Amino acid sequence: MYVRGLDAVLWAVGFCAHIVLLAVLVFRGRARRFPVFTALIGANVIRTIVLYCILRYGGKNAYFYAYWTLAILDVSLQLGIVHEMARHVFKPLGRWASDVRSRLLWLVSASLLVAASLTWLGTPQSTDWREAFVVQGGFFSATLMSQLFVGMIALSTIAGLPVKDHTARISQGLGVYSLVCILIEVIDTVLGSKTGPSIRLTLTHLRMGVYLCCVTFWTVMLWREEPKTRTLPDGARRQLSLLHLSTSYDLKRIKGRKC
Amino acid sequence: MLMALRTEYFILVVSAFVVFLAFIASYHMVRARKAGKVSWDTLVDRLVGVDRNSIATIAEDSEFTIDRTRIASMIGGMRGLEDLEANCEVLIDLACYVQRWYPEAVVVAEDLRLNARELKWHIARLRGSASAENLQVNFPDYAHRTITIYYEMTRSLLQLYERANYPGFMKLQRAI
Repeated sequence: MYVRGLDAVLWAVGFCAHIVLLAVLVFRGRARRFPVFTALIGANVIRTIVLYCILRYGGKNAYFYAYWTLAILDVSLQLGIVHEMARHVFKPLGRWASDVRSRLLWLVSASLLVAASLTWLGTPQSTDWREAFVVQGGFFSATLMSQLFVGMIALSTIAGLPVKDHTARISQGLGVYSLVCILIEVIDTVLGSKTGPSIRLTLTHLRMGVYLCCVTFWTVMLWREEPKTRTLPDGARRQLSLLHLSTSYDLKRIKGRKC
Repeated sequence: MLMALRTEYFILVVSAFVVFLAFIASYHMVRARKAGKVSWDTLVDRLVGVDRNSIATIAEDSEFTIDRTRIASMIGGMRGLEDLEANCEVLIDLACYVQRWYPEAVVVAEDLRLNARELKWHIARLRGSASAENLQVNFPDYAHRTITIYYEMTRSLLQLYERANYPGFMKLQRAI
């Protein structure tokens, strides 16, 4: 099977855009801070090559299994990114910020429940189980991811924890992409194969287009440096550490005081 | 027929869900952007006036020499403690303000957050006592703890501003 027309253009542009983003991540030193995000972009480059080869030389079955194996890897890495972003924002001192961990657990549990309920509610208009599986799987992952990213943005504001520039941009990009994916998956679930391949192809192109916009957005944002910060003088830093110790001690003393 | 109804519900529920998520994301992004642009003076102006001398006297009284029945009148009763609770949020914001330029200030901001949580817990217990009509009995102990924590918070914040050589140190000292 050959890839032609707009498909071929989107594949080629997407592949090049991923290579550029990967180069930015590696050469601008962002890969050290965002290893899981870098892994996702790297995996997307490999996925494009593998799927292209299978589509070109393999059969429909081989493509289906390869697509889904790689899609599971993709969703796992996206979940890894949620954890990576949460670590950057909610673990400012290497441990989870006070009263945030329980809220995060609530967020994850509620998101899983809502995603599962919405997926159950939507019944794909498809007779082929594989097609139904693809549509429902895609819808579940988009619903889950959008909730997690939006929830993290909300939680960081409520907890008053500042989100650094690059972390915010990665989260925003994935959040917007997931929201658009929900809409695409809804149309796919409702219309299904009844409308013929043209609508499905348009939806796929739309998804690829939105994702390309996100990749371009990340490339520009991650190329830029974050706003410059200052460093405290050594003496001041030492005194702040002492202050931290003394406050922890005082707090324990207050807690231990009998009422 | 049932299938069509279910599909209609599905479209309706998911549309409402996407609008809700988009609203939450936009609201919090705007809120975060606004919070990042708040000036230092605006933050300080949000501090509610409290009796600093009474706070220092009560907090430094680790030997419990003050007549415990006087604590309520010294701090202004439950209303006074609620003012301290409101000020806690401002103290955290003031620490976060320094954190924008000095990321190392995160240590103090996190301590303040932990202290604020503790303080709110004590005030919640007092509110519970008030509804159970035994506020008089519990007030001195919980109020003493609350005031001590608040005092520690103000000390930490002032030291942070002093060490960072922030120009607003004097004004902050007067305000808290």
